[in-house]
Amino acid sequence: MAAVQTDQVTLTINGQSVTVPKGTLILDAAKKIGIDIPIFCSHPKMAPVAVCRMCLVEVEKLPKLQPACAVYVADGMVVKTTTEQVGKYQKDVLGFLLINHPLDCPICDKGGECPLQDQTYQYGPGASRFDFPKAHFDKSVPLSDKILLDRERCILCWRCTRFSEEISGERELALIQRGTNTIIGTFNDEPAQSNYQGNWTEICPVGALTSRQYRFISRPWDLDRTASICPACSMGCNIQIDARSNRIGRFQSRENVAVDDSWLCDRGRFSFPNFQRQGQERPRVRRNGSLEEVSYEEAIAFTADALKHAGGQVAGWASPADTNEELFLFSRLFREVLKSAHLDHRSGVVADAEPDDIALPIADIERCDQVVVLGGQGVIDAAPVLHLRLFKSERKGVKILKVGVTEGKRALDAIPAEAQAIGILATEADKQAAVDLQAKLAKKVKGSVRRLIVTTGPNGRGAKDLGILPHQGPGYASLNGRAGRGRLQWPGAGVKGLYVHESSPLHGFVPSDAESMWLSTLPLVVFHRFKASPLDEVAHVILPGHAFTEKYGTVTNMEGRVQRIRRGIDAEWVREDWRVLQQVANALGASWAYESVEEITGDLVRELPPYAAVNQEARVLWSEST
Amino acid sequence: MPLAKSTADHIKDLAQRYPSKQSAIIPALWAVQHEQGYVTPEAMAEIAEHLGLPASLIEATASFYSMFLTKPEGRHEVVICVNAPCMLRGADEMTAYLGRALGVRDGGTTADGAITWHSTIECLGACGGAPMMQVDHQFEENLTEERIDAIIERLRQPVAVAAPAPAAASERPKRKAPAPRRTRSES
Ligand code: SF4
Ligand code: SF4
Ligand code: FES
Ligand code: FES
Repeated sequence: MAAVQTDQVTLTINGQSVTVPKGTLILDAAKKIGIDIPIFCSHPKMAPVAVCRMCLVEVEKLPKLQPACAVYVADGMVVKTTTEQVGKYQKDVLGFLLINHPLDCPICDKGGECPLQDQTYQYGPGASRFDFPKAHFDKSVPLSDKILLDRERCILCWRCTRFSEEISGERELALIQRGTNTIIGTFNDEPAQSNYQGNWTEICPVGALTSRQYRFISRPWDLDRTASICPACSMGCNIQIDARSNRIGRFQSRENVAVDDSWLCDRGRFSFPNFQRQGQERPRVRRNGSLEEVSYEEAIAFTADALKHAGGQVAGWASPADTNEELFLFSRLFREVLKSAHLDHRSGVVADAEPDDIALPIADIERCDQVVVLGGQGVIDAAPVLHLRLFKSERKGVKILKVGVTEGKRALDAIPAEAQAIGILATEADKQAAVDLQAKLAKKVKGSVRRLIVTTGPNGRGAKDLGILPHQGPGYASLNGRAGRGRLQWPGAGVKGLYVHESSPLHGFVPSDAESMWLSTLPLVVFHRFKASPLDEVAHVILPGHAFTEKYGTVTNMEGRVQRIRRGIDAEWVREDWRVLQQVANALGASWAYESVEEITGDLVRELPPYAAVNQEARVLWSEST
Repeated sequence: MPLAKSTADHIKDLAQRYPSKQSAIIPALWAVQHEQGYVTPEAMAEIAEHLGLPASLIEATASFYSMFLTKPEGRHEVVICVNAPCMLRGADEMTAYLGRALGVRDGGTTADGAITWHSTIECLGACGGAPMMQVDHQFEENLTEERIDAIIERLRQPVAVAAPAPAAASERPKRKAPAPRRTRSES
């Protein structure tokens, strides 16, 4: 029978037949049928190096055992992963890895989630055959102010050095010396500068690379893990809040290939101390110049009264780190109840948002042939994990042009007319330049030109979608001449009261000098917030609210993806922010009857049908074109 | 100490010669070592700059190959082979003797600054004359305690005797105290 040419290959692993595409590694083919082959150096996001030898398997017709992480499947291959010989090699490889390993598991941060520990238990020898003294290396070597390296625990799997080379491209980590003297280090012991170092601690298969922040904080089995979203920028990287005894111990990555591709930046990962709660706090109202503790009921009644007093002349600022549900209620409180359009979530001047700002999804950067990063490092600083996506794309052959905001012309000249798919990235502050460049490129090239505008805050996009703006309603609706004033115009616009809602100190209301002057003269400042700030001093009411890490709801990232945040920390003495907003509205005559966040989401979706995307954590598409 | 202009130019020229810049690292390290006697972190950083490569890669390469010196060493370099064929012919005894005769441990430099010795080298391809060592790029084979004594005697002469070794090796200037480097202890 003539062989049929296909892209599929059929092989047998442990007697089970499996068909996979050509170019699949034995390791992945085995995984597909639920056969687990132990590994250390292999990593799904990096090219195989086969240095640890943990994954050796028998392949029929090959005289020696083969590393499953580096050998590609072939038609008719017969692989065995559980033979006596494989078992013996697994024991021996672990025996070698442990020769100089300090086995200080009892004081090692990795203990309990350590592949070396787990696999030694599962596949290793019960005792060491090595009875010479162990070689000693330096412990707790500071690689930077974020990371410590224990050179005795390192098993030289090269994952961290490969990350540095293949994932971040910074090549800060290297293997220094050779043979048994090999160590991981930076050039001349200089502190590492990378903004992606936290990832090293996650990919290290032992406790060699540990984060200072999490050092000796917890055992993995004592952690309560909550799937959520990074609070630090508009990328919307998926995280896991790991808390012990109701305090955050660390943020870990949680893979979403469409967004973070399983990585976090250090700014986001190490931002959690901003969300630690210091003690309990009660609502306060200002009476005769000083703040007095009151019940929520009193504070809410006071707020409603004062707002009524201010008539329609109240302004509302909600943070771009609020949930969509909170923003939805905040917008309704202002537009429907207080009849005011003085709404904002911005801190500066930015061009108007449009649905076209999300035409280029994050993952599609890889599928462009040219990507212009308009603003260069400024764009990366606004959403650092974008750099990893750009570098990955570059390695796949995408041309990345990093140019200054005013250098659009350079990009225009550099991009050939036959380009097929062009992407433009820019921050919202530089959006106009991106739009101009896009128009010129569209004239020059045959292919598509799409842009992705980096918003501010984990829910800056949601705030625009939901119309926390003076001149646009929910869904970018025009207000037909009933527009209010934006934040920058509030001083001097006859505003008599201000309601500020924020749940993240990273994206709070920071008054400018002019605003500070104005605030001190305002008859009413309602401050509904998680953490104390200088605004407390001018506030007439302080309503304690939940932190980003303490609440349930949804946020929309820069590309319009609606994702869920969850309660990683319990602060049950704090009344939910949405409930307080509802009670304020009801005290002003509304009759809202929400019992849960889900009900608010439901109403939000009814008002803005594209937000049904929340059910799939998908992107909100405003029209066919986006 | 910055590299001499001639060395820097040579490295820039090397950068053009290979399809991959990485290939120029070893010749560049040789050039630096020939000029300065050993390769300092500053020199590595300069190589990195000329080749447009990360400095970590230069250090990785320089520290991988034992022929590159990363700290000041004696006027003469003695490396003794301890691989299997040499070992079978008594390399262990010869290594122990060499250390005793020089009065310093493996990797050390004699007090008079004349000789640095180490055994971190793999088979030099002279197994036929095992046990053997290499003195300033010259092979010395069929070692005995007496031959080692005679070689040390010769190397201790204040003026290097007509050593046919490459110029750089014999002209290697004497250095001051070694710069501190990362430590590693074995016990
Ligand atoms: S430090 Fe960790 S990740 Fe890096 S080589 Fe060592 S074991 Fe592997
Ligand atoms: S890129 Fe943004 S969302 Fe992602 S980890 Fe960094 S700060 Fe957090
Ligand atoms: S996992 Fe295959 S050799 Fe390391
Ligand atoms: S083993 Fe010493 S020269 Fe080959």
